[in-house]
Amino acid sequence: MSPNRVRANDPTLLILTSLAAGDKHGYALLQDIERFAGVTLGPGTLYGAISRLEQRGLIEPAGEAGRRRPYRLTTSGAETLAETLEELRAIAEEGDRRLARRDAPSATTPAGARAVGRAALGPAASGGAA
Amino acid sequence: MSAARHDRSTIGGRRRWPGAGLLLVLYPAAWRRRYGDELDALILDMAAGDGTAPWRVRADLIGSAARLRLLGDGDPGRRIRGGASLVLWAWAVFVLAGAVVAKTSEHWQQALPRHGVGDAQAAFDALTVAAIVCAVLVAAGIAVALPAAARFLRDGGWWLVRARALIAVALTAAVVPALVAIGFWAHGLTDAQRNGHDALYGAAVVSWAALGAACLLAWTAVATRIARELRCRRGVLTTQALIAAVVAIAMAAMTVAMLVWWVIVAQRDPAPSGGSIAAYLSALVPQLAFAAVLMVVATAIAALGAVRADAALTEL
Repeated sequence: MSPNRVRANDPTLLILTSLAAGDKHGYALLQDIERFAGVTLGPGTLYGAISRLEQRGLIEPAGEAGRRRPYRLTTSGAETLAETLEELRAIAEEGDRRLARRDAPSATTPAGARAVGRAALGPAASGGAA
Repeated sequence: MSAARHDRSTIGGRRRWPGAGLLLVLYPAAWRRRYGDELDALILDMAAGDGTAPWRVRADLIGSAARLRLLGDGDPGRRIRGGASLVLWAWAVFVLAGAVVAKTSEHWQQALPRHGVGDAQAAFDALTVAAIVCAVLVAAGIAVALPAAARFLRDGGWWLVRARALIAVALTAAVVPALVAIGFWAHGLTDAQRNGHDALYGAAVVSWAALGAACLLAWTAVATRIARELRCRRGVLTTQALIAAVVAIAMAAMTVAMLVWWVIVAQRDPAPSGGSIAAYLSALVPQLAFAAVLMVVATAIAALGAVRADAALTEL
């Protein structure tokens, strides 16, 4: 596992996603995350995540030291975000495929086999001429 | 510096909530120096109309500070080494407590009726076996870091630890001949004199024990100072984190075994009139109480170190 990997429910992923749209300071990050994810992070949680991301080189200060210092995504941070989103996309697609198979009629039971056969042969098999 | 910079009661012209300072103090000093001002400003941005922080915000700040204090912050390798060092300190304290228990419990089996020894013996054996396992694991943890420690010392690290190492060497040089001298002295004494009836000998033994404890702690200080600077491979760090967890668990088991042994011996005290070792043990013996407190404290420190190391392991 990559040391820079972040998890779907991790505030760090929300921060990386927010910074992908541009540099932001703490309060702007909180507002943006609440807007696009519906998640209200606390200030301690936010800065705990910011410090971890900065130490892992995924974000960096974008301006002078001050009380409302903005942060920006680094190249490594953008790559990590892309990898994480790709992993999440793969999981989401796999979940969709499995749900679709679960909802589809099964060919392993007689009733299911008939339904699958009818579906394969089209409307004519069910005697449903238009 | 301008006067405005010294004025901590306002931020950007807005009145600062006084409670923010108290909550920020909960954070580690180094972390606070880097992020404190920004977090302070964010707290003000999130403040309610009357300028105070909502309870949800306060709870989040306390929880976040506790997490940072408990798990540490920064490079995972450094946190693992820090956690393992905490476990090493805890083990040194535990060894001192174990020495007190060993001295206090000498020949305890002889004072119990033959049928009453079984359970207590099982608890005492568990304590002994766990102590041996722990000692081997701690030695293994030090051994896996030795190549990195040798590189560090060769590359100029010796100058960083020189003062501590010289103190440890000096204490060792005093402890060894003192032990030999006390041994010769003891040969010329009766059992009664060796067991508290010779005040001068007793004082010498206590002084030697204090010197031995100082020696152990001095070498631990050298080892943990070196550990702070090491650059270890991932495999070494993983091994140390796992050893830290096992040692912490074994220390908890030893603490429980010692307390169980003590309770059993106290319950089966055959000589309420006093005079036997069991009667001596059955009371709240100050030495055992002291050792038990040391063991509990050491186990808590080891647990903290192990949690730190293992939490950092997931980020390695």
